[in-house]
Amino acid sequence: MSITLVFFLIVGIFFIIVIESVRRGILETKYSILWIITCIFLGILSLSENLLEFLADFAGIAYAPSLLFLFGLLCTLIMIFDLTRRISSLSNKMIVLTQEYALLKEEHRKELAQMKKETQKKEEE
Amino acid sequence: MLSLLDTPKILIIVPAYNEEANIASTLENLTGLKEKISSLEICVVNDGSNDRTKEITREFEVVQIELPQNLGIGGAVQTGYKYAYNNGFEIAVQFDADGQHNAEDLFQLIDPIIKDEADMVIGSRFLKKTSYRGSVMRRIGIYYFYVILRFLTKQRFTDPTSGYRAINARVIELFIKNYPKDYPEPEVLIQLYKKNLRMKEITANMQQRQGGESSISSWRSVYYMGKVTLSILMQKIVKE
Repeated sequence: MSITLVFFLIVGIFFIIVIESVRRGILETKYSILWIITCIFLGILSLSENLLEFLADFAGIAYAPSLLFLFGLLCTLIMIFDLTRRISSLSNKMIVLTQEYALLKEEHRKELAQMKKETQKKEEE
Repeated sequence: MLSLLDTPKILIIVPAYNEEANIASTLENLTGLKEKISSLEICVVNDGSNDRTKEITREFEVVQIELPQNLGIGGAVQTGYKYAYNNGFEIAVQFDADGQHNAEDLFQLIDPIIKDEADMVIGSRFLKKTSYRGSVMRRIGIYYFYVILRFLTKQRFTDPTSGYRAINARVIELFIKNYPKDYPEPEVLIQLYKKNLRMKEITANMQQRQGGESSISSWRSVYYMGKVTLSILMQKIVKE
């Protein structure tokens, strides 16, 4: 079995996993788009040997399938970078939320204390 | 000394993470100041401590903001600034919980802000010779940052990592929108420099840590310096 076929099988299985994850609601649709594009792109490249050979020749790569790995690596890099950006934005949001929650809680505690005082006053009267 | 009538509303922000060993004496010193300045309020930001910091702080007449999770020094101090902004404080002072800072220096610290000579005032251990003697490693690190910041801001900062600082309302407003998270003390200097705000250092006496562990342990200090250098350089190019 040639390496490109193995590659296609792996990509194919992965594609099914991605689609299935979206269908079950484990992966959000907007996050799946990047994965689906990657799968289709790598799938086409690994199936059509002519296209791969042509591109490899164009780039001066002697062993064509290594181009496949290059693309795979590039896609992974893009994906990881995208993820770190999402994590940063999530962590910023989390910090703002945590702060807001703590400030509100303190305000709430103050108000409760105030209310307690007032009811005590009324009772005394 | 300040007159009692026209003193602006001052908030002292004490970020505390697992400071059960020091927080009581720190707060005792600070509440002592309340008698001298009537418009002073103290706000402890408990950064998700998992020791008795919370219970000890409750025994004092201070505001305690309890973060449900540990956000790190930047996020904790920013919470304090947000509290200051929401409650209309004109001056916010950052004060370490570990007992390093001297409460008596507060008057010198806020003086340039009241007189509107500076937007931020930093208490420095090294401006003049004080009793403070840090480890050699620590002093090398501080000199290193002095050189870098001199290059980036054309201003002299003898103690850029000092956490004893006072800011005015203008800077509070800036900080609630954007406050560096990782190494806020040196990064803030760049941030304010880019906004053309006035910064000033004054001499502050500091004690060696009285207990607990510093957030910077010695074997990590080189790693720390590298990371802070990167953060400072990043802050220089960051777009606001």
